[in-house]
Amino acid sequence: MVYLCESSLEGIFCGVYAVYADRQPLSDCRLSLREDYEPELFCSYKEIPLDPSKAEKVAKKIRNHMSMDAYRALSRAALHKSPERADQILRFIALGLSAGRRIMQMLKEPAVYEIFRMDQYVKNEAHFLVEFSRFWKQPSGLYCGTIGPENDVLELVASHFADRFPDMDWALCDERRKKAALHTSSGALAICTGITEEESRLFDKNIAADCYIKLWKTFFQTIAIEERKNPRCQRNMLPLRYRKYMTEFQP
Amino acid sequence: MVFDERLTIEQKLKILSAAAKYDVACTSSGVERKGKRGYVGNAESGGICHSFSSDGRCISLLKILFTNQCIHDCKYCINRCSNDVVRTAFTPDEVCALTMEFYRRNYIEGLFLSSGILYNPDYTMELLYRTIWKLRNEHRFRGYIHVKAIPGADPALIEKVGFLTDRMSVNLELPTADGLKKLCPGKSREKILRPMRQIQTGISENKNELTLYRSAPSFVPAGQSTQMIVGATPENDFQMLSVAEALYQRFGLKRVFYSAFVPVVPDKSLPVPVGGPPLLREHRLYQADWLLRFYGFEAGELLTEERPNFNVLLDPKCDWAVRHLERFPIEVMTADYPSLLRVPGLGVRSAKRIIMARRTGRLEFADLKKFGVVLKRAAYFLTCQGKMMAPVRLEENYITSRLIGEERKKTCEFENASSFRQLSLFDDMHLEAAPAPSDARKALFGEL
Repeated sequence: MVYLCESSLEGIFCGVYAVYADRQPLSDCRLSLREDYEPELFCSYKEIPLDPSKAEKVAKKIRNHMSMDAYRALSRAALHKSPERADQILRFIALGLSAGRRIMQMLKEPAVYEIFRMDQYVKNEAHFLVEFSRFWKQPSGLYCGTIGPENDVLELVASHFADRFPDMDWALCDERRKKAALHTSSGALAICTGITEEESRLFDKNIAADCYIKLWKTFFQTIAIEERKNPRCQRNMLPLRYRKYMTEFQP
Repeated sequence: MVFDERLTIEQKLKILSAAAKYDVACTSSGVERKGKRGYVGNAESGGICHSFSSDGRCISLLKILFTNQCIHDCKYCINRCSNDVVRTAFTPDEVCALTMEFYRRNYIEGLFLSSGILYNPDYTMELLYRTIWKLRNEHRFRGYIHVKAIPGADPALIEKVGFLTDRMSVNLELPTADGLKKLCPGKSREKILRPMRQIQTGISENKNELTLYRSAPSFVPAGQSTQMIVGATPENDFQMLSVAEALYQRFGLKRVFYSAFVPVVPDKSLPVPVGGPPLLREHRLYQADWLLRFYGFEAGELLTEERPNFNVLLDPKCDWAVRHLERFPIEVMTADYPSLLRVPGLGVRSAKRIIMARRTGRLEFADLKKFGVVLKRAAYFLTCQGKMMAPVRLEENYITSRLIGEERKKTCEFENASSFRQLSLFDDMHLEAAPAPSDARKALFGEL
């Protein structure tokens, strides 16, 4: 039996709830994301609608029976790009229900290791973007930036900037997922989905409008020591895929 | 000396960042500070790098000199007073504007402000103080600030700066007093150590005060650091490392940085390094420094009077391990944390993961690989449930030659100056992929 759930953390938890409500043996069940699912032959499937109260029951069970760390790890793993993520989360929870508080120590178990690995990947990418995201200042005074992450880390990154720039108007757009975090100088933070082509054009850098872009490029050039030039090391530390969004690497 | 008053801000930035680039410290770690309404910025204890320049070094702070004017004539320094370069200075407002505007665009984590000595140490320190004061009070900046303490400045001024900054540093420049006398005619060892001692005392007094009154202002909360130049004077590695160890133990320093000597001004008392700056030597010093701070090693274990320099072919930890084979192999399931840390191929994180995971199950070599252990090195020194990964002769020459084969690839790249990478505690960035089934088989049956 394949259970098809929504791709958010809540949606996945609802899927987990449904699997357990049906009392099927876990080895016969698979939890997949509805949006990625391609129908297979000889396979029955069931769509699981979103129900916040059920999701909260699962979340509570994880927090109380396992640990807050386990809950946090799962909520980050749910942002991972893998289409398998729902099923991985199901396997982790299944093991956690019997292992209880020890679950996070059981790195040797494939179900735990997979979540650990996904969590690391998401955390690392979020950290990279805390480092490498760039804002530029529009004439209106709005600071805006664009990112294109592999995983859905916009919320994680935005919460860092909300703490850092509490009184600033800023916007950070995930151009891959067409969503943006908007922060106002009054301290409100909102995530907007379904950003249109026209709206996303507002984020395109206008070098002439912001004189600090040129100053930063100058600094970036002069701070390097010619005698120690080492592009390989630079590439190891700063993967190429981030550069297309970074002021200092843009023409 | 040409002092040009009519430079644009961009020209000044160019001159004063180029003049500051030989200072190594660019870390923004050691202090955790949440953001606050009405202020700009916060700080993360692990530090945040914002970019990497073409030499592969991290850019975390806006690293600039306040002025490149200097009364000193240190022979290795680009700003020595006898060098004919354009001189300029920022104003406090210019430094504040650059810092705030770069910070708001997420270019930087904060400011690293150093300076040449304009007129005298007090005058210069006062200028730095005024700049930092404006930044903290007028611009409400809560990000990271690192300021150089100017040797010879009034202790009262240094103290005032210390209450506004996160980190302070005084450069030791050269590891021995002799070297200093030879290359820095205006400086003396004593003059450098005095502010260092003052900051150390200030930090420990402040800690006491903070336990009494939680709201007391904090003094240099991210600690102090220093830097030594590698290869400008004839000191050997053992001397360098012993000095570093003494600084950690007796001066409570957070970091000692090493800077491979780059000849920027020709002088007959300076060596001309063959084949570029001594990057491999610098790298070995950083590796050993890491072993001192996080792995429980002492300088005397890594080097001695008889063997005063690092092995070019092996990293210091492997080098130590092959000379102490009587302590190996150790058993993964039972070894304590300090012994695990001494195994080549194991780091702080992987050792902690082993300790955590072995509480709930028996570990095999395939598991270790998942935890980030580098089995190519660790395999010679570990057993899992009594078995080695492969049959190994516990014999110094055999293991050394195997490890060198491994290390040579890296060292070669070094000599071509192409793969230098700063050691990092955060080795998770490059988590090993899951081992192939064939590897697991090999590990299971203990065959190569």
